[in-house]
Amino acid sequence: MEPSLLPIDILDAQQGFPKALVACKDLDGLMRLKGVYIGREGSHSARLMELLKAAPKEQKRELGGAINVLKNAWEEALKARQIELEEARRRLATFGNTWDPDLPPPIPARGAMHPLNQLIDRLVDVFRPLGYHVEEGPEIETEAHNFDGLNIPADHPARGSADTFYFEKYPELLLRTHTSPVQVRTLLRLAPHIEEKGGIRFLAPGRVYRKDEIDPTHSPMFHQVEGMLVGHDIGMHHLKGTLAYAMKALFGPAAEVRFRPSYFPFVEPGCEVDVRCPLCGGSGCRVCKQSGWVELLGAGLVHPNVLAYAGIDSNIWSGFAFGMGVERIAMMVSQTPDLRLFFENDQRFLKTMGGLD
Amino acid sequence: MLIEIKALRQELPGLCDIEPLALCELLASLGFPVDAVDTSNGTSVLEVDVTANRGDVLSHRGLARDLAAKLDMELSALPVTTLREGAALMPVRLESEACPLYATAILELGKAQGTPTEVQVFLGHMGANAKNLPPVDASNEILHRLGHPTHAFDADTLQGALIVRWAREGEKLVTLDGVERTLTQQDLVIADEAGAIALAGVMGGESTKVTAATKRVLLESAFFDPRTVRATAHRHNLHTDASYRFGRGADPAMAQMARDLLVQRLEAWAGAKLVGAWTAGAVPPTAPPIPYDQTLLERVAGEPIPRPEALALLLRLGCQMAPEPGCLQVVPPSWRHDLSIADDLAEEILRLRGYDQIPSALPPLEGAPEPLSKDYLKRRRLASKLAHLGFCQTVTYGFVDPLESQEGNAQVDEQAWRTLKNPLGEEYSLMRGTLLRDLRDTVALNLDRGAREVRLFEIAPVFVAQPQDATTPIQERWTLALAWAGETGGEDPLTPVRKVSALAGKSHLIGVLKALDVPDAAILSFERWPLAGVVGGAKNQLGWQFEVPLEAIPDAADRVIPAFKAFSRFPSVERDLSLLVKLDQGYRPLADAMTTKVRTSAREAFQDLRCVDVFRHKSLPEGRQAWLLRLRFQHPARTLTSEEVDGWMASALDVARSLGAELRG
Repeated sequence: MEPSLLPIDILDAQQGFPKALVACKDLDGLMRLKGVYIGREGSHSARLMELLKAAPKEQKRELGGAINVLKNAWEEALKARQIELEEARRRLATFGNTWDPDLPPPIPARGAMHPLNQLIDRLVDVFRPLGYHVEEGPEIETEAHNFDGLNIPADHPARGSADTFYFEKYPELLLRTHTSPVQVRTLLRLAPHIEEKGGIRFLAPGRVYRKDEIDPTHSPMFHQVEGMLVGHDIGMHHLKGTLAYAMKALFGPAAEVRFRPSYFPFVEPGCEVDVRCPLCGGSGCRVCKQSGWVELLGAGLVHPNVLAYAGIDSNIWSGFAFGMGVERIAMMVSQTPDLRLFFENDQRFLKTMGGLD
Repeated sequence: MLIEIKALRQELPGLCDIEPLALCELLASLGFPVDAVDTSNGTSVLEVDVTANRGDVLSHRGLARDLAAKLDMELSALPVTTLREGAALMPVRLESEACPLYATAILELGKAQGTPTEVQVFLGHMGANAKNLPPVDASNEILHRLGHPTHAFDADTLQGALIVRWAREGEKLVTLDGVERTLTQQDLVIADEAGAIALAGVMGGESTKVTAATKRVLLESAFFDPRTVRATAHRHNLHTDASYRFGRGADPAMAQMARDLLVQRLEAWAGAKLVGAWTAGAVPPTAPPIPYDQTLLERVAGEPIPRPEALALLLRLGCQMAPEPGCLQVVPPSWRHDLSIADDLAEEILRLRGYDQIPSALPPLEGAPEPLSKDYLKRRRLASKLAHLGFCQTVTYGFVDPLESQEGNAQVDEQAWRTLKNPLGEEYSLMRGTLLRDLRDTVALNLDRGAREVRLFEIAPVFVAQPQDATTPIQERWTLALAWAGETGGEDPLTPVRKVSALAGKSHLIGVLKALDVPDAAILSFERWPLAGVVGGAKNQLGWQFEVPLEAIPDAADRVIPAFKAFSRFPSVERDLSLLVKLDQGYRPLADAMTTKVRTSAREAFQDLRCVDVFRHKSLPEGRQAWLLRLRFQHPARTLTSEEVDGWMASALDVARSLGAELRG
């Protein structure tokens, strides 16, 4: 083909065509390009056809051939590109109907029960199979229930205003210093029915108050869980069997308990109960101070004076009682370094500690 | 209590073969856990924890005695020569039963005065400073070694007779610590004819104290009633080594022996010469004997314990047996004030055998278990439900600051009735009447710490004073408080951000209450509750909170499975009604009026009417908003026709129009 037969702008267009084709990223762009090159009116090929019409006869054949080659090349290339772009659009459309599962999903809100309440509920569950139910009493108690009924002598230091909160207007009222007054209340209430009920057994969880300054290991309010059983011929072996069962249920089958003699006015004999350190299994760690044991609770056989206060004949009935600090166990199990975290209520703490079932 | 292992071994030589660590285990097994071991002084000094009932082990001799009983060993003999007492050199009058026995002696001190170095070192280990005054140091040494407190007066400062009597109200005494004390009639004092010279069993007096210049000393080795000493120590906040031991019960039978040992030491250390020794009063009778009860012992122990074994253990403790017809009586030793009933003896026998010997068994289930209480179950169910709804449970103190309490309508004088007399501080002095203040503070704390959304609840009692009610002057009312603040959503592409703190945020919280089956009436009244509503104040709105008494929330149903309720198998029809209503149109009156009308005609086919969209925009006529109401119909027994539904919808629209609404075009 003689280049001179085609006008210079057409030659330019031909030269720019491959680039323009690649530059079309979507079908709309391609349609516009198609219009520019091979559209019916005003396109390069339309102009070429006009040129051919106007050309002298002797040139027509040669020019026509050249124009055809050019037009066919354009058409084919455009067609191929169109197929390519259509394919790409189809592919994209399929993506539009899918959702990338790696995108952050909406997660239902997660709350938490307070770890102390969880532990209390757990203890209730542990003792439930043994027939214990829940008894509760008021936080504002009388001296009679908090001290007298528990064989605590009138001049016991715990009764002092340095240890116990009293009320401005009611000299006989105080904030209970332990959950043991629930023993007194329950014994008094159930004493007339003890025969028909076949004894008494219950758990008494609750909040208690002592005049301690707030620091990493002290709080003026904390939680206790008290347990009590009254029946016939109850001895220390029953206390041991019960607590051994409970600790296994709480800490797993490897849990062991150890009794040490101790003294609380409302039990006789009295003991402190250690459990094989649940964190190291007894090999020694920071929590058990390398001893392999951690102190868990105080317990003993109910003092005859406590039964007598409620009008229960200690020649017929005997029992045991135990009491544990909920925070102490919670801190030990979770290794929470500071007691104040339990009362500060930072949501981050609560959510970490409050695993839901 | 501090115990030097070396001194303990002197009292019980058999301990020499026992390593300190094993000794600690042994002490713990007897009920005396060792809190700390200090080996910095070349010998081990143990910090032993002793329970309040065991005044008898507050010394090396006492602890060794308990160990000897446990290990069946012999204590070393006390190097004491019993003094021959003579006539009283001055009158000693015991005017109170709180001092039944007063052993004393007068000595002339020699020239060579000095406390032996090993005694000074021992006192150092006991945390006491040796004064290098033999009468003082010897008394101190005997206290730590034997457990019996004694005292030495400068005999030349005494005027006339020695009297143990109750103090006169307002009587003054300057004690050894230099503090002038004002005494009461409940304080027991040692006095001479000029006045009080010592607080009995607690501390000596400044005016009669032994100094380097003292020539003659009068020794005191007495027995004082534990309660009296405890009360005086407590009253004057004066807790001394002596009051600690007398307060927990010293051994009256030790008084004369302690005096004799003191005399011997002064003779040896200070070249003292005994002028005379005598005793006023007598050793008080020991506690009454305790009947031995083999049945009780075996019940407590949970296994048979041969009687001879049990009796042998009691003998090792120093008990004596007094056989009486039909019953063996056990007489506790003079140093054991804590043994008074057969249960105490059983404990001693188990303690010496070792608590690890106690067998383990579950008690039989004698009666049917009782159900868990409804109140407990309700709280537990609520807490679990709220946690699953995304709320975190908080626990806060029961007392609050009265100044910040802002209990709204609570009366100040009502608050006075629930105020503590001896709070930790003013800011913890009021038993709270609402949970909302603590909840609000906790919300603010969490937002301050960067939480985007805060959802909290607390279930706890609030306190209401009712002074006219003698049986329950302060009522405890279990209450649920709930707060939702910040913004929710916006954490993923599918959940848009919603500001809980915004005007409509309250609806989120009401929705939660509905999910808890809180009745509408209780929810409606929430606007009137003090402190309820906006957290952070109307200007700086953070979110919403309110509280509801637990009794307003229904109990869980009693039935295991609820009663069957029939439901229709025929198709249901939903129709929407788009209404233009005034901006101040209340939803409830309109919805109630429409519901009543439609229910009258549609009867059992009417299921529900609710607003599902509120549209407020400037394109709407001024003062108007658009509500999209959705009505649902379903007949229990047949398929509905569109004509009858059209009729009901028309009647609904009529009612709406009569209340000023119009159909949105």
